[in-house]
Formats: sequence, structure tokens, C-alpha cells
Amino acid sequence: MKEEGLGQLMHGRAGDELLQKAGKTVSQCDRCGACLPVCPLFGEKDHEFASARGKNAMVRALAEGGLEPTRDLLARVDFCLLCRACVEACPNQIATDQAMIDLRQYLKYRMGYKNVKQEALAAVLDSRTAVKLAAGLLAFCRRRGLNGLFSHSLLPEEFTRAHFLAAHAGPAALGQKTPIAGLKVTGATKVAYFQGCGMRLLFPAAAARTCAILAATAPLVQRANACCGLPHLAHGKRREFLALARNNIRLYEGSDIIVSDCASCSSMLKHLGAWLEDDPAWKDRAALFSGKVMDLTEYLAGIGYRPPMKADVTLTYHAPCHLVRGQGISAEPRALLQAAGNFVELPEADRCCGGAGSFHLDYPEISSQILERKRKNIERTGAAIVVTGCPGCLIQLTRAAKKSGHKFKALHISQII
Amino acid sequence: MTITRETKQKFQDIVGTENVLDSALDRFAYSYDASFVSLLPANKPEMVIRPLTTQEVSRTMAIACERGIPVTPRGAASGRTGGSIPLRGGISLCLDRLRQIVELDERNMIVTAEAGVRTSDLYSYCAAQDLFYPPDPASWKFCTIGGNVAENAGGMRAVKYGVTANYVMGLEVVLADGTVLMTGGKAIKNVTGYDLKSLFIGSEGTLGIITKAMLKLISLPKKRGTLLLMFRSIDDGCRAINQVLQAGIVPAAAEIMDKVCLEAAARHKRMDIFRAGEACIIIEIDGDNDNMLAAQAEGIAAVAKGCGSREFRLAGSLQEAEELWEIRRGLSSAVASLAPNRVSEDISVPRTSFSEMVRLIRTIGDNHQLTIAVYGHAGDGNLHPSILCDLSNPAEAERVDRAVEEIFAAALSLGGTLSGEHGIGITKRPYLSQALGITAVNTMKAVKQALDPKGILNPGKIW
Repeated sequence: MKEEGLGQLMHGRAGDELLQKAGKTVSQCDRCGACLPVCPLFGEKDHEFASARGKNAMVRALAEGGLEPTRDLLARVDFCLLCRACVEACPNQIATDQAMIDLRQYLKYRMGYKNVKQEALAAVLDSRTAVKLAAGLLAFCRRRGLNGLFSHSLLPEEFTRAHFLAAHAGPAALGQKTPIAGLKVTGATKVAYFQGCGMRLLFPAAAARTCAILAATAPLVQRANACCGLPHLAHGKRREFLALARNNIRLYEGSDIIVSDCASCSSMLKHLGAWLEDDPAWKDRAALFSGKVMDLTEYLAGIGYRPPMKADVTLTYHAPCHLVRGQGISAEPRALLQAAGNFVELPEADRCCGGAGSFHLDYPEISSQILERKRKNIERTGAAIVVTGCPGCLIQLTRAAKKSGHKFKALHISQII
Repeated sequence: MTITRETKQKFQDIVGTENVLDSALDRFAYSYDASFVSLLPANKPEMVIRPLTTQEVSRTMAIACERGIPVTPRGAASGRTGGSIPLRGGISLCLDRLRQIVELDERNMIVTAEAGVRTSDLYSYCAAQDLFYPPDPASWKFCTIGGNVAENAGGMRAVKYGVTANYVMGLEVVLADGTVLMTGGKAIKNVTGYDLKSLFIGSEGTLGIITKAMLKLISLPKKRGTLLLMFRSIDDGCRAINQVLQAGIVPAAAEIMDKVCLEAAARHKRMDIFRAGEACIIIEIDGDNDNMLAAQAEGIAAVAKGCGSREFRLAGSLQEAEELWEIRRGLSSAVASLAPNRVSEDISVPRTSFSEMVRLIRTIGDNHQLTIAVYGHAGDGNLHPSILCDLSNPAEAERVDRAVEEIFAAALSLGGTLSGEHGIGITKRPYLSQALGITAVNTMKAVKQALDPKGILNPGKIW
């Protein structure tokens, strides 16, 4: 009892610090409105609170005592894709996404923030064993055609490289390294694969293909990694996030390069250094770890990888938020796709697909509306395949493909190159 | 004033339940705009109403008028003087759902748009038919036409193409009692009675709710070019602009930035192109062909050289030009990030007094130990001095107040005025009679009294 009280006190203090930090993050928002036309949520639900300006004002008022933490406020803090479109459009680059993450944590401390779906999901992702069990269960369901058991396409029908090759290609071979490499990889370089939960649970075939590509470029190390922690961090479970982070850092200490085929994982892992900056015991290890992380396309472009063949098929590309804005990676996947097929640019390629981690589970209606716009843009390109580099996006795009009456297919980039 | 449950029900019947918002958080979310009016204590409306049509606006106004409920119209709340802040509570009447472009009459070169259409959307819509809607306030990507008319928004192209008022042919306005007024039309010459539309342009929502605007278009210039010039001082830069205009070259825009602004921009955009001097001018030229552009660029280069320019650059690509303009458009916010608070003004002086005005601002800043960033539309004499300060320090806040008063007095002494394009709103209210004289203010009040006898339209603004 006494211990609990102390815990709450500690949380209270940490919470207040987070609130002040969030307040500081948004303090330079001068409410100009530049974020209004770019926010995908504001595009669908044009209430002021949905916009970054509305959120920044709310954070500031909360930090300065003009608003009270209420359930209504909680819902509005949750109502954010963390897609960073606003940050990019903001003349002052206000990190509203960061403020939302901090505020969610604050509210968790302050009022015992609970979201049943997120709690359940986080509980699974906390444990590697649970992730493996879940992956097995999902694979079983997929084999038996039981996708429909899961609401809202949590388990998408996976369109794999085998399907792709059957439809569009001759004999498959793995791509070769070419000498124009900017990144030095030798036989001694220890390249490791970081398998995210999304890839493990939902797109195992794509993950296997990633491994095959990587193994052809360097001796591949596979580790029994844990979740990258982004779902925890995004939903006020900072303690769990930090535990996962330390675990992963420890696990990959022997590796030189850590490659992930999930944009959200690689983005999260690249930022671990910043999250552990205040921890003297972990600061340097975390920074070293983050410095080794690369997105799959970044790595392949770096070593001068060429896709094994150019298929006569029209491809387009949806840019995951965590790749284009989270890591500034934009040219690499496009260059790879140009070499793998007839590439056409997707209008509003950078606009969030509405997946956003578990956002699509919490707000299915808005998420679907955002996806509709994506679907129309994809159909406009006439592409047979929309490619992306994030399992979260791939869930959405697979739904869009189905909605379009299979006018196009959705594939992870590793299946194409 | 409290809106009763029964009245709320009436509003819900008009616009639909989902378009009447009155939760604590929604009321807070509609309490601010892009002005430096403090976020807290919040000026919350009692209720937010989001009509879809002129008829819904009309029915809403009829009830508000009957019950004496204050109504503050709101577009994108991107105004800089507090015009859309519901100072007396009541209704925040959001016009952002009125977003139809009603008609593009290509032969008469006139477009009719609802109040909530974004300015850049209107521009693009017309540009697709080679027609040009020139007014381009820095906020054009998110501000709306209704607000542009109500504030008589300017922009960077004013030097050549004028401001919003120069393009308004006609308006549809819902009056205080809900009656719908149509004024003006497609006829270019029109002296049938009072020019009522002009009354509503720049009226800041105090005389009626603008629901539609009929706007004149011109043909879209086929070619555009962007120049960047650096000068040793603001004086040299201003001299160059005046000489360019006197030489008969009218740039589409001519924007000047001082040293403080250049530092802010450099920090934000991580650029180091501004080393050559203390004043930077970005100029847009336009015309029908490359030869016309080349002739203008050569003329400007010759004048600039004569005024001691340190650098002259012609943007090589559209992308480079766009990057230069993004620096200018983002300047207001970039400057704001230099200090905890930024008090920004919008004075306008005769063009030839621009550099004298900058000198006076410098002196005022020095006298009050305040850093003041200055940028503005050197081509038309409209400048934006931004006082960088910390208003949480009472002594400094006091000095800021003094400095603002002195800047206004200086502008008036040079034959200038309080606001070029932002309006009076809340923030410039105290200085109005000094600028206009009591007769002008009384005449305006008489107009207000005639059109809004109950005083429900945007109360607390302008005076």
C-alpha cells in the first residue's frame, strides 16, 4: 500500500515533467494554421481539435493550467496518427507527434489511462513467446482460410512474391551486389535482421524474402529480438518500452549493421539513442545501437543492390510516414522499384494511409475514410501493384486492394526486388 | 448571456446536431486565432455552429438576432489581429464548410466562390484554365476567401496586382437579422446606388456574414522568374526598389528582409546564402515570354548595381524559386521562434518612406532595449516590425507597449497607417481614433449602428 503510494508519487513527478516537456515542445506554435491542410485527420474530420494547431493549443493550455485532464481530452490526444505531416509543413517544425507521445504518457500516469485493445496488443508484443504463439495461430488461420475470424482485416490476405513471380516474371534469382557501393560490406561485416512484430505476425513470407535478400549480400545474423517498443511508447507504456529497448540493444551488440524491413521499427530503433540520453548506463550503448540501424531500402541502396530482374509490370509506391518523415528516406525505395518494374509515382504518396499502428483499430471509420483517398490515388496511377515498406501500411493497402475489387495488389518491397 | 437548451435545439435543427459543438474542449479549440492575443484565459464561445449553406447561415442569424446572441464569424482562424476570436462568447460561426466554387465564368473572367474556399485552392482552380486570381496572403494555403474579403487581405503581389478589394465584383452577405443581401455583380461599370460591397470589404465580420464572393480574374502570366538581391543596408535596398519602379519596371512582388529576419530564416532553413549583406530582397517578375522576363531582370540588375548590390541571383528552376518564396512565407513563424513572444505589427507607409520608417523602428527598439525584426512588402510600403520579447516579464511587457505606441505614432507621422493587410481586430483597437480621427470613427459607428443595431456581430472589435 505504502509502496503503491510512493509509486504514484514518482509517477506524478515524472508525469508533471512530461507535461512541462510537451508544453515546451509546442510553445513555439504561433497558431498560423499551416498544418491544417496537410493533416490527414483534419482532412476527414475538420474540427479544430483534430488538427496539430488544435492539439498544440490544448497541450499548452493543459501545461499552463487552462484545461483539466479529462476523458474527453484523453480521447483527443489519442486521435493522432503520429504521421508528422504537420511537423514537415510547420514553419517552426513543432514536433506535435512528440508532444502527443509525452502527453499520452502523462495521462497514463495521471489518470490510469486504459485502452483495452492497446493493452491487449501491448501485452502480446511485450513477450517474444507470445508473439511467436500469435504468429503461429495467425498462420494457421490463414492456411485454413479463417481470416474472417478477425475483425477489420487485422489479418490481411497476404499476396506474396510467389504470386508476384507467377504473374509477372520468369525464373527468380537473388539480386547481386554491384561494385558502386557507398556502404562497405565485406565477408566480415555482421549484418543482422531485426524482425518486427508486424512482419512476424502478419507478413511472414515477406520477412522470409527479406532474409533471403540480406543473406545474399552478407552473412546474416538472426536474433530473437523483442518488439521495437513503438506501440508501447505511443500509448503511455514508457517503462515497458525502455525494457524492450535495453533488451534489443543488448541483443545486437555484436552486430555491425542492423536492418529492418519495417519502417516503424527502423525509425523507432534509430531514435533509441535519444530516448536513453538521460540514462548514463545506457546512453552510449543506445547511441551506438541506433547508429547501426538501417531500413532495408537504405541498406540495399547503400551497397548498390540491383533487383534480379525487371518485370513488365506497373508499380507504384506508398511512402510510410516512418520512412519518409521519420527517417528522410524517399529516393532509395523508388530507385529500387524503377529497376524492378515500370515505376509510376503515386499522387500524395507521402500522405498517411490511416493505419498508424493501432489507430485503425481504435478509429476504423476515420481510418477507412483516409484509406479511401489512398485507394483512389492508387487506382488513378493504373498500377498493378502498390508497394510499401511497412507492415502497418501493408495491412491498410491490402484492404484497399480488396475494396478496389483487386484492381491492384499490395506487396512489401522485399517481395518485388 | 446563456444560450438556452431550447435555442440550442433550434440551431441543431438548422445545421444538424453534429455541427453544433459545445463541449469544453471544442469551445476552447475555437477560442483563438493566429494573433498574439494570449491563449489563456481563453475567449471561449458558448457554442460553435458550422453551417453548410447560406440559408443555414441566414436561419442561424435570425435566431441569434432575435435572442441577442453575439456572433463571431470564423474561416480558418489564421488572422493576425484577433478578428475571429469570440471575445464576448456567444456563437463562433464557422464558415469552413461553405467550400463550393460555385461558378467559373471564363468568358467574363469572373469566379464565384463560397466563403470557406481556401485561397490557394481557388488560385489553382482558376490557374488550370489559365486564369489568375492574384491576391496571395502569406497564409494562402490555409486561409479562406471569406476571411480574405472580411480583412481585405493583401499579400506579396500587391505591388503590381493590388489587394483583395481590387478583385471583388460582388458579394452575398447575410445581415445581422438573417436577411440575405446580394450586392454588385458581373457588370464592370456599376454606379447604381451606394457601392455596398465595399462596405463589407475589410469590415472584419462586424457588419454582416460574407457567404459568397464574386471575384475578378485576369489572364495568367505565362512566365515567372524569381530574383534574390543582397544589399549592404535596408537603405540601399529600398532605394533600389524605388528606382526600379520609377524606371517603369513593376515586379509582381518585392519583399525585403532585415538582418534579424535573415538570421531567423537561416536558422530555420539551415541555409547560409545570406552572408553578403544586411538586407535581402526577393523579387518576382512575370510576363508573357522569356524575353520580357530577361528585359526586366536586366533592368533590375542594372539599378541594383547602381545601388551597390552585393549579390544578384536568378532562380534557375521552379523549385529554386519556390524555395526562395517558402523562406519569405515562413518568415513570420521563423521570426516568432526567436523569442518567447513576438508582437507583430502591420503598418503601412508611403513607399518612399519605407527606409525612413525602418530607421525610426531601429531607434525605437534601441531606446526600449528591444530587438525588432523588420520585413515587409518594400514594393508597396507595407512592413511588419516584429518585437521579440518575453511578455511574462512585466517590465519588458511595459516597454513593448511603449514601443508599439511609438511605432504607430511614427507611421502616422510619415503619412502612413496602422494596418496594411491584417486589420484592426482586437490588437490595434486602442490606436484607431488616433489614426483616423474622431469624425471617421463616428461615421463608421453610424454605419455599424445602421446595419447591426443590436451589436451582435463580432462585438468588441475595431473600436
